Amino acid sequence: MAVATVLGRRGGWARLLSSAKLLFGLALVMFFIVVIVAHPLFQATIWERQFTVYDPFIGYDTQVVHPAGPSGEHWLGTDSLGRDVVSMFTYSARYSVVVALAAGLAIGVVSLLFGSIAAYRRGWIDSIVTHLSDAMVFLPALLAVYIIGVGQDTGEFGALAVGITFGVLYGLGPATATVRVAALGVMAMPFIDAARLAGAGMTRTVTRHLLPHLVPHAAVQSMIGVAGAVTAEAFLAFRSGVGANIGFGYLVFEGLTWGELFAGVLDTPWWVMITGSAGITLLAGAFYLIGVGLREIFDPHELVV
Amino acid sequence: MSLEGTPEPAIRRPRLPWLVGFLARRGLWALITLLVYLAVVFVFIQVWVPFNYATPARLGGPEAYQAALEALGLDRPLSARLFEFVAGLITFELGNSFTGPPVRTIVADTAPVTIFIFAVGALLAFVIGEALGRFGAWHRHWMTGASLSTLGVLFTTIFPPFLVFLIAYFLRDPFWELRETLGLPPDSLEVWRDAPVEQNEVLLLMSLALIGAVIGGVLVRTWAHRNRMRWVAAWALPVTVLAAVAGVGLAGFGVEAIDLLYRSDISQTVATGSPLLVLVGVVLITFGQVMFMMRVGVEDQRNEDYVLTARAKGLTEAVVRDRHVARNALAPAIAGSFLALPTLIAGMVIIEFGLEVRGLSWAFFTAVETQDIPLIMGVLVMLGVIGIGLRVVADLVIAYLDPRQRRS
Repeated sequence: MAVATVLGRRGGWARLLSSAKLLFGLALVMFFIVVIVAHPLFQATIWERQFTVYDPFIGYDTQVVHPAGPSGEHWLGTDSLGRDVVSMFTYSARYSVVVALAAGLAIGVVSLLFGSIAAYRRGWIDSIVTHLSDAMVFLPALLAVYIIGVGQDTGEFGALAVGITFGVLYGLGPATATVRVAALGVMAMPFIDAARLAGAGMTRTVTRHLLPHLVPHAAVQSMIGVAGAVTAEAFLAFRSGVGANIGFGYLVFEGLTWGELFAGVLDTPWWVMITGSAGITLLAGAFYLIGVGLREIFDPHELVV
Repeated sequence: MSLEGTPEPAIRRPRLPWLVGFLARRGLWALITLLVYLAVVFVFIQVWVPFNYATPARLGGPEAYQAALEALGLDRPLSARLFEFVAGLITFELGNSFTGPPVRTIVADTAPVTIFIFAVGALLAFVIGEALGRFGAWHRHWMTGASLSTLGVLFTTIFPPFLVFLIAYFLRDPFWELRETLGLPPDSLEVWRDAPVEQNEVLLLMSLALIGAVIGGVLVRTWAHRNRMRWVAAWALPVTVLAAVAGVGLAGFGVEAIDLLYRSDISQTVATGSPLLVLVGVVLITFGQVMFMMRVGVEDQRNEDYVLTARAKGLTEAVVRDRHVARNALAPAIAGSFLALPTLIAGMVIIEFGLEVRGLSWAFFTAVETQDIPLIMGVLVMLGVIGIGLRVVADLVIAYLDPRQRRS
């Protein structure tokens, strides 16, 4: 219904494109895709034959004292181990984006599955799902991901695993709660009765008549949840601090630790810390904006819990 | 009831006040949700988390690991262990931390600061977010909306450790200078030497006084509005909050209360973190979500017919916005704001730990990084209890404000 009413109306798509929040969020996501593509491109072109200087893991420039501030050679400076921050930033972006995609997909699948089945079957299934999602709200997925991941190597608990874990936990909580309420609204519609009278079974009613109307609601929840997943992955990298992985969170950790180590002697290498934090906030903010933008476009009545 | 159709108003079925039924329903809800939450936490920790009590024994080879599993009873079925866990909780038995002391003691010692930050932070974030959302949706100039949106998104998605850095870098020094101006000794032990009360008692008193004042103020305001006492309504909230603050001061805990805003652990002579700064951080990362919820609500209501009527009656814009539109937008905004709880709890835990406050998050991080499972479970259980408790209180306030919420 939501899709049909908003996009079916004259100028519906234009309304979708006229949302500044949505467009801004999409532009930011595009920016990160460009950033991810930029890393191999840079390595193939301007950093060619300079792998020892610009490698995100082992690069070291012998010409300057590290950590060095932004310069023509190193646009965002270098970190305390002498690695180029642009190279680290562009390389780390792929982890965060993989986490975001995995989490977004998991939230969507989990919330649609549980929300639609609860609303269709009602009864004890519904009450289990409702109480479960009520309870899951109090178990923050970020903390859960941190408990699981902090002792583990990034090889065992990588970006995909972080994203799916976060997505399942968040999806069972706030996302399922919202999608279930929306599904109850759709189930009260006459066309569901019509479908049943026409002999449609559960599978057909749910997939053909219920799910299409829930997708926008799940999309809103999944985008807002993804913002949390990006932060969660960064926080794991921030607290782990060591290991083969580098990520936005690791950049913040690096900058902060160096600053604390030399507090009062040297300034915090703000270029390392700010680059990491900006990466996290821009990527998380991009998805959050898309979520909020979608929520404002689709009928707000239905999206309220 | 007579069958002839003549109503007999004298025979009215005596009805219990709505509060009784409401409290019973919400109490039952809270109990079931708490049980489900405990089961979720238990299953999560026992099944999903890749370490258990016996993990250290892995170093001794598979036989030693198996022996440790059996010795700890971890080879028994999950349902039996879950039952034992919940049964233990009824007697507040959470086991012993790997470091020795009972988890119950650690949690009870560290919880009051966190309760204070959680309750007051959630309240402030809601009040600020609601006001900004109402304002941002009403003022049609795009700059207002855009700048509020930008601020909201930036703070909602800020990396909490980075926010900790910003607060420590920019706010800590001015905040401690203020302490000097107020005339408090730099060392907390001087404040507490002759104090007749415990630190945690004062913290709980502060939380209860503030929450009570705000809830009482809202209730008095609503009551006064219904009885057309404009002045009482306008001043109810400020007066009750001021009365609570003055009450804490008059009770003789004024200095201690201020000191507690600076230092979460008075036995430490080094400056441990300040709960007030954590409060600032918690409000900053949470207000945005409430604001966006409120804006959707106000945008949705602003084109209704009653708005036109109110304007045609000659009411001022502020009255139309605050008395008519905002009240209709409020209930869904409150309901939606509960979905921001995970962000609030997670952000609170990170910021509290980052600013070195000795609260539940301190226990949590110590526990996670030493894989101290009993303590992790204890902290998660306590966070759930606090969250569900606050939720019930909030539901009660909503039900008072909006009679439609009292049934169902």
